[in-house]
Amino acid sequence: MTEERTAESSGQSGRAQSIAPPPSIIWALAIALVALIVYVSRDFVLLLFLSGTVAYFVNPIVKVAESALIKRSIAVTVIYLGIGLSLLATAYFLFPRLRTEVNALSSSLPFFGDRLDEAIDALQNEIVSRYPAADRLFTPREVRNDKLNQFIEQQATNFPGLVSHLVSLVLAGVLVPFFSYFFLRDSRKIVHFVLDRLPASHIETSVAVWCEIDRIVGQYLRGLAIEGMVIGVVAASGLWMLGINYPLLLGVLSGVANVVPYLGPILGGTAALLVTLVQFKSLTPLAQVFILYLSLKLLDITVVQPMAVGRGKELHPVLLIASVIVGGHALGIVGMVIAVPTITILQKIAKLLLERRRYSTQTAENRLSTHVQTQPYVC
Amino acid sequence: MAKRRWLERLRDSEQLRRLQLLENVPLFAGLNRRQLGKLLVKLFEREYRTSETIFVQGEPGKALFILLAGRVLICRTGHRAEEPLATVTAGGYFGELALIDDQPRFASARAEEPSVLLILYKSDFDDLIEGHRVIAIKVMGNLLKTLAGYVRKAQPQGSGRAAMMSGPTTAKDRTAVASERASRD
Repeated sequence: MTEERTAESSGQSGRAQSIAPPPSIIWALAIALVALIVYVSRDFVLLLFLSGTVAYFVNPIVKVAESALIKRSIAVTVIYLGIGLSLLATAYFLFPRLRTEVNALSSSLPFFGDRLDEAIDALQNEIVSRYPAADRLFTPREVRNDKLNQFIEQQATNFPGLVSHLVSLVLAGVLVPFFSYFFLRDSRKIVHFVLDRLPASHIETSVAVWCEIDRIVGQYLRGLAIEGMVIGVVAASGLWMLGINYPLLLGVLSGVANVVPYLGPILGGTAALLVTLVQFKSLTPLAQVFILYLSLKLLDITVVQPMAVGRGKELHPVLLIASVIVGGHALGIVGMVIAVPTITILQKIAKLLLERRRYSTQTAENRLSTHVQTQPYVC
Repeated sequence: MAKRRWLERLRDSEQLRRLQLLENVPLFAGLNRRQLGKLLVKLFEREYRTSETIFVQGEPGKALFILLAGRVLICRTGHRAEEPLATVTAGGYFGELALIDDQPRFASARAEEPSVLLILYKSDFDDLIEGHRVIAIKVMGNLLKTLAGYVRKAQPQGSGRAAMMSGPTTAKDRTAVASERASRD
């Protein structure tokens, strides 16, 4: 009787085992659920992401203080006060000049369409006078005006959206420093909390994965900041030397836009070319600005990027461009910015996990015999 | 006196405790407090319950472990059964070979009682020594002394040239070296 019960119960457990879904399906469902939650609360996730980014910039300074045995909470508070004061000082010295440029630009903006029209006409005439055959390439003024008006109307319909974006930006400006302060203050506790809850036998791999993520994101963000600053300063100086209007504003735009791979430099360059076109209505200054931005890109690729710890250097160029395109489609400009570090992290994690899997199927002796060159003596 | 009190308020007592422990770890002998502080911020802390596995023989070695509190058993699974190699106590370290090469773990490590461990990931260590020549020379020197100790201890017990070639790979040799280190600690 007892044997029968045992057999029955073992049969039941056997059925229960066969009913239970395989771990891969559970993992897939869990990942899908997390992705859904992230998608539903994407605005909040973006806010957390921005806060994390700020925390990453400040973290190296906090680590210096921590290595001198200063309490983390005190170090973070002092550093935040210091950053706040520095930003205020920068605003005090830089903003009057920048405001003058913005005011000048906004006062001339209502006439911008007409001035652009005149400039394009002047440029067309110049080109046609030099190369008469090029006349067929240009569209008549009326067609061009229609297209320009259509474009302006389209932008005007987007204005309410722009205002709501500005409100979000102001909110983010308040919340991001707030969140990042607590991220920095409690990051050690958060990591400790997570590590204590992971399976003990996977700690080594988990620490490896965390350190790699930390290294890649840190390198990428710091590289991006250095790159943006260098590009901004060089672009502003170059435009100022060429006598282009609003050099500071265009420099800031070029530096900020540079964080978007591929699209950023084109955006900065186009803005500078438009201003030059309206200001000079001639081909030569346009060519000069074009060469300036081309040289800037070359300088970026050959000097700045390798020095600022080459971003995406571990990625194949095709994978890099593909990740930027997919990121852009999924999350817009933010997606384009985070595409490269995300794909680098995924690649690194996959490598670490595959390595662990490969080791488990290969004996230690095999690996030693294939990788270590021993010499026939020890003395 | 007041200045000293202010400094005490600024100081992180938990980090200070870890630093004092690191000062007594033979691998970091010769490093001053400033250099140890740089090392300290690279460490992760993890608590292990009794019988919890820290790492398993044959898995890729990625980190060095320093025992802050508790006791850890190092053992190797042979053809027949599990052989204990050494017991590491507070202030001791293990898994140091992971800082040198990419080979799999030679043995497994398991907590014998509730233990607190500091974990130093290899790439973090590499980053640290890349920027600090003095730390690199001193730590690598200590590491080489440890390895030289293993080799010297293994030689007289081996049988001729073959044993010299293989180094301290047998459980017996490792036990001898480990017990020597444990008694030194």
